[in-house]
Amino acid sequence: MLRFSKHEITINEIIKNMNIPDRSEYLKGLAQTGQKIMGVLPALYPRELLWAFDIHAAEIWDPPGEILHANAHLQTTICPVVKKSLEFILKEPQTINAGYLFPHTCDSLQNLGTQVKDLIGVSLPIYTFYNPKGRFNNTTIKYYQDILINFQSILEASHGPLEPEKLKAACVLSHKIDTYLMVIQQARMTDHLSLSNHEYFTLMRAQEYLLPQDYLSLLEQVNILEKPAEFSRARLMVSGILPPLPEILVFLDELGVSIVADDLLAVSRRIPKFAMDPPGSPLDYLTDRFFVLPPCSTRGGDLDERVHYLSNRLKESKAHGLLFDMVKFCEPELFDHRLLVKTFRERKTPVLTLETELEDHISGQDKTRIEAFTERLFEIVST
Amino acid sequence: MSIRAELKYKIMKDYGAPVLMAFQNVRRRKPRPTPAAFGSPLDSNQRLKEILSRHYFLSRYAPGVKKVAWVTSGAPVELLRAFDFYTIYPENHSALVGAKKQGADYCGIAEGDGFSQDLCSYARIDLGHMLSGKTPAGKLPKPDLLFCSNNICQTVLYWYKAIAHELDIPLIHFDAPFVTTEQTEADINYMAQQLQDMIPILERVSGRVFYLNIFEEILERSMETSKTWGAILDAMKAQPAPMTIFDAFGHLAPIVSLRGLPVAQDYYHILMDEINTRVTQGIGAISDERYRLIWDNIAIWYKVRFLATFFAERKMNFVTATYTNAWAETTGYLDVKDPWRSMAKTYGQIILNNNLKHRLDLMKGMIKTYAVDGMVMHSTRSCKPYSVGQFDLRKAITADLDLPAVILDADIADERVWSEQQIQTRLEAFCETLEGSKYG
Amino acid sequence: MADLYFSGVDVGSLSTDVSIIDHGGKVLSEIVIPTGVNGSEAAEQAFNAALKLADLTRDSITGITATGYGRASVAFATGKTTEISCHGVGAHHLFPKTGTVIDIGGQDSKVIQIDRQGRMLDFTMNDKCAAGTGRFLEVMANRLDLNLDELSSPLNIEGDSAPISSTCTVFAESEVISLLAKNTPRKEIVHGLQRSIVNRIWSMVTSIGIEGEVTLTGGVAHNKGLVALLEEKLGLTLNIPENPQTVGALGGAHIARRTYQNSLEADSI
Repeated sequence: MLRFSKHEITINEIIKNMNIPDRSEYLKGLAQTGQKIMGVLPALYPRELLWAFDIHAAEIWDPPGEILHANAHLQTTICPVVKKSLEFILKEPQTINAGYLFPHTCDSLQNLGTQVKDLIGVSLPIYTFYNPKGRFNNTTIKYYQDILINFQSILEASHGPLEPEKLKAACVLSHKIDTYLMVIQQARMTDHLSLSNHEYFTLMRAQEYLLPQDYLSLLEQVNILEKPAEFSRARLMVSGILPPLPEILVFLDELGVSIVADDLLAVSRRIPKFAMDPPGSPLDYLTDRFFVLPPCSTRGGDLDERVHYLSNRLKESKAHGLLFDMVKFCEPELFDHRLLVKTFRERKTPVLTLETELEDHISGQDKTRIEAFTERLFEIVST
Repeated sequence: MSIRAELKYKIMKDYGAPVLMAFQNVRRRKPRPTPAAFGSPLDSNQRLKEILSRHYFLSRYAPGVKKVAWVTSGAPVELLRAFDFYTIYPENHSALVGAKKQGADYCGIAEGDGFSQDLCSYARIDLGHMLSGKTPAGKLPKPDLLFCSNNICQTVLYWYKAIAHELDIPLIHFDAPFVTTEQTEADINYMAQQLQDMIPILERVSGRVFYLNIFEEILERSMETSKTWGAILDAMKAQPAPMTIFDAFGHLAPIVSLRGLPVAQDYYHILMDEINTRVTQGIGAISDERYRLIWDNIAIWYKVRFLATFFAERKMNFVTATYTNAWAETTGYLDVKDPWRSMAKTYGQIILNNNLKHRLDLMKGMIKTYAVDGMVMHSTRSCKPYSVGQFDLRKAITADLDLPAVILDADIADERVWSEQQIQTRLEAFCETLEGSKYG
Repeated sequence: MADLYFSGVDVGSLSTDVSIIDHGGKVLSEIVIPTGVNGSEAAEQAFNAALKLADLTRDSITGITATGYGRASVAFATGKTTEISCHGVGAHHLFPKTGTVIDIGGQDSKVIQIDRQGRMLDFTMNDKCAAGTGRFLEVMANRLDLNLDELSSPLNIEGDSAPISSTCTVFAESEVISLLAKNTPRKEIVHGLQRSIVNRIWSMVTSIGIEGEVTLTGGVAHNKGLVALLEEKLGLTLNIPENPQTVGALGGAHIARRTYQNSLEADSI
């Protein structure tokens, strides 16, 4: 289990001690060792299957750099996650050597997958993975298993037969990571973690590119405080696709606002809602895992369930307010957003919505929004 | 079901609607003069108007007699027909609002209620209608059931979820996995099983029992109707083409929203006859057809007339479109003897649920068989599955077939997304290229 | 508690406004100057002018709240608060029954919901695009070759209005150009522009809801035609402050006053 420390270490030390490597440096290093690396687009996919074939999944969410070449392929009204991903793919980066995987997440990513494969053309193979939508029942479960089996045989075609032991081991590893992440989430909600907003999300996002073993040893180093730290700060829960821009996270730190819980597609929506039994049959384990993930707009899940989940998280984390950090043009999120805002407003929970195009800097206007919102949160904290 | 409501519905159906239609014919404004660039309009237009007015008119007497379902354009409605639902197509209704240039008003209502301006305008118009009760069709009944399939987009699922929550009614979703290379056995089984899973729910909501033979009859009728529609589109291969695709956008309504009903089946026979006569007599939709064009994507409903006139005046006629073709393309898979699996194939492989290689091949085929000289693509803000990839489709088509093409940035039903100056310039430049390429 | 004075300095994108009040909340002076390129200089200049008008010296001001876009650049401030809170407090002091504040500023417009004490409960701001702001009107005035006062003249609200459908300044500008090219009367274009702003504001108001009286602040409140249209659309009468531009600064001054009073109470405990 996690090591428990009696002493609060300064936060920068933790990151330094953890030694979280830079994303592109790390992947470059890995590629040089001959590691197979597949670029994976958002959001849900059976990582364990890839690991079982010794393929490392490097996720592509918001690669840095200007959007330039992608504009020749996509309209201006397409979301920046899609555009930035395409920009990255068009650069044909050396680090990605085993192809790209497009999980079925939304209309834009669905089309981007076939656009890259069938029209633009890249030298690497393109894989897809369908995630069932809507309400789930036995028919869905059966189908999800079929999809897994199909995906396995597709991977076998280019990477040789699957070794069942490897898949089993991958599931065990995945289960361990999930368990750690759930403990860390819990610690965050109850102030047993002394990480700044920025550090916390750096840690959470490191799983997008670290080898699972490396990520696991990183998680093992996280210090869970024995007693909760004294916090008089305003507490915030954040919902959306990606954590707010680093600049916003730092700004919130400066203002004295702590993000204690999240409902982000890139973070908590990919961690099971509750602890799962250690894996028995890999196929059953992978299926179960998909169905115990928190409700998500991209899976077309039930709205009541989502409201319920969010209220529970808010209560559990004692957050004073809710921040929706919306990616511009993200349809699945924007549809749910209206009801969520309405519901929590009616319940007198302070709600702020920001819209991001994943720029490098925040605008003055957004700064004002955040500050005004913080002023409101502190009013609540003080009463 | 009350006897009174049933009686009223029957009276309205048999007497009320015909009187209304007759009255409308009398009251109807003097028809706008047809510009010289067009041939004489189709006689079937009149019948089409009657059918649609009647459909919307009767819908208000449906509650208490039939259960009302709101359905997406790509959903397997045949199954609902077996339970005698009165079906309303929000997409069709939103297009109607858009065509009346009222899209922005309805969108504004939804936006005021918290729906982002970046969402699909069909959805925003429909949600605006749901929130306010406003409709240009007089009055629409509240749904008892929602039925959607993500074979046209994921958007409909998000959209219908919002309605289901707001009105607290059941939503049936038909999950159609996107076809990245080809449908797998698993995909087909999954869809076939979902359809069968729906029966008990539909029986409960409708209070009716499912009879396979009735369902097969409906399926048969639906198939036949789609085939007639396909034959009508085929007739557009004639030079000059007997109608324009802008006409077809209108004549599409019954195949979308009345599919599986006798009224639609009969209608297309009437239209087919008229089209065939025109072909035999060599009558074209525009007075002088020199250039033949293909349209890609949904119509720009608030500018149909503008575009039709613009092109007709330049002796250009749209003879085919990926959009109108969508309700004929996969009908061939339907098989009454194997209803569930054949529906999975029919509904799972429609153009918007199929990969872009399929779309590219399909478009190239259409361009060849319809002797097309140029392509106009509508890149629409509202529809990601139809629009993402268009830039590269255009590139591939122009390169392979040496075909002039233009992309118009607009929207299906939100008239605020329209910059006339820009579009006019683009279109004129396109026409110059086209004229140069054919006779230059 | 004689001789205690407080000030609010609102450095906005178009104008810099200063308000000075005494400990009882009485307004002693109000100043509005253009911000220009240097916010901190404008703040300095406006503050000095306000002091002069109130016949006070800098030392006599106990608390100064900086607000507005340039709030960080006001070196002499004792505290800073966003203009959103400030407009809420300012409107509350002018019209105590205010529940909703609509502020149409230079760079952005906002709708603020406040409680009976003037504390902000919720707010919404326009999105990135500047349509529906003072800046939008300024750009359009330029395009129409009118000055802002001419653009603000009361217009017959029953008159025709040219349709301006674009919700983005850049596109709206090109729409205006094509309307001018079609010889559309300028009056109709102005009318269309006002209508498009009012529609924008209206959708922000509906998204947050109306509570209590509605007070309109910001320079655009001088625009009589727009006010009439907005009242018509909302179906109510707006509170219009005598100096709509200085409401943020006034709120800032009141916040400085309250902060001082709170610190006294804290000391006495």
